[in-house]
Amino acid sequence: MINNFVFVALFLLGFYAILVKKNLIKMVIGLNIMEGAIFYWFITLTDRGGTIPIVNSSQVVTNLNDPIPQALILTGIVIGASTSSFLLTLIIELNKFTSSTNPDQLGGMIED
Amino acid sequence: MSRTKHVITVIVLSLLGVTMLVALNKIPNQFEYANSISQHIVNNAVKETGSLNFVTAILYDYRAYDSLGESTIIFGAVSGIVLLLSRKTLPVSSHGLSFIVKRTFGMLTPFIFLFSIYIITHGHLSPGGGFQGGVILGAISIIFSIVYGSEFDYKRYTPTTKTLLETGGALLFIGLGFLGILFGGNFLMNMRFLNMGEGSLISAGSIPFINTVIGFKIGAGLAIIFYSMIQKTFKEGVDL
Repeated sequence: MINNFVFVALFLLGFYAILVKKNLIKMVIGLNIMEGAIFYWFITLTDRGGTIPIVNSSQVVTNLNDPIPQALILTGIVIGASTSSFLLTLIIELNKFTSSTNPDQLGGMIED
Repeated sequence: MSRTKHVITVIVLSLLGVTMLVALNKIPNQFEYANSISQHIVNNAVKETGSLNFVTAILYDYRAYDSLGESTIIFGAVSGIVLLLSRKTLPVSSHGLSFIVKRTFGMLTPFIFLFSIYIITHGHLSPGGGFQGGVILGAISIIFSIVYGSEFDYKRYTPTTKTLLETGGALLFIGLGFLGILFGGNFLMNMRFLNMGEGSLISAGSIPFINTVIGFKIGAGLAIIFYSMIQKTFKEGVDL
């Protein structure tokens, strides 16, 4: 199915960035791509092909999409934004001490 | 990273991808909705909460306690960022853009503010809500500091105002939760006070009020995050 394929491709792209890239900011971008892949998959999985879950007060309710996954994903997006902003802040602070965003050059920091 | 490690990473990731695809294709594409909780919400949410937007009904009525935790996470992130990046004296990061841009955004910014207020207050009637409108509200602070320069944002929308909105929003949210106890229910229970009929602006009990409070809280929180990250506090008395 196409949504599973897109999810796996996006997820592995983000995972690849976290494993391979030598820049902490690019690793945070990879984490965000993984998050976006999970949100996309969760929304497409629960898509019933209906309309948005908003009604008029007089309208008869027929064929609405499931509102629960959308509320859960809204929570997830907000938490993802908070965590990535906090991660970027930690990278800014780290850059002041080491003048580098390479995770391999941070090893000597602890002994000094 | 050497070439061998790179090749090994790609092989391991493609094996993981094949495994995930095989596992995910076993998940059924159609679910049984007949007796599910979402069917209950679709059938009864208007009657039980008064909100026409079911996502808002879930976020601020059925799972309002969860939204309180969510806004606490934002509060924690903002507190951590301010703690890490707090500096007394740092250079000004922006002096503003050209005259044309300033005049254009002078005309646009009131409408952006109006749009964010609309999104926030109509969260129970149309797509939107506190979190979505709050992000637009946070963009106004970013417009101030990029287009008009850091000093304008510092003078017009001071850090004290932002802090008051952020902490006041969080406290008012908890206060609205205690209002549920006051009206004879549980914490954060929607007691359907001030109801002027389904589909009107003042309906659905505490949902529009929680939306408004969260909207200002999120807008101020994002403004504080941006303010801390670009580090635009400046030395007192230095000629700008």
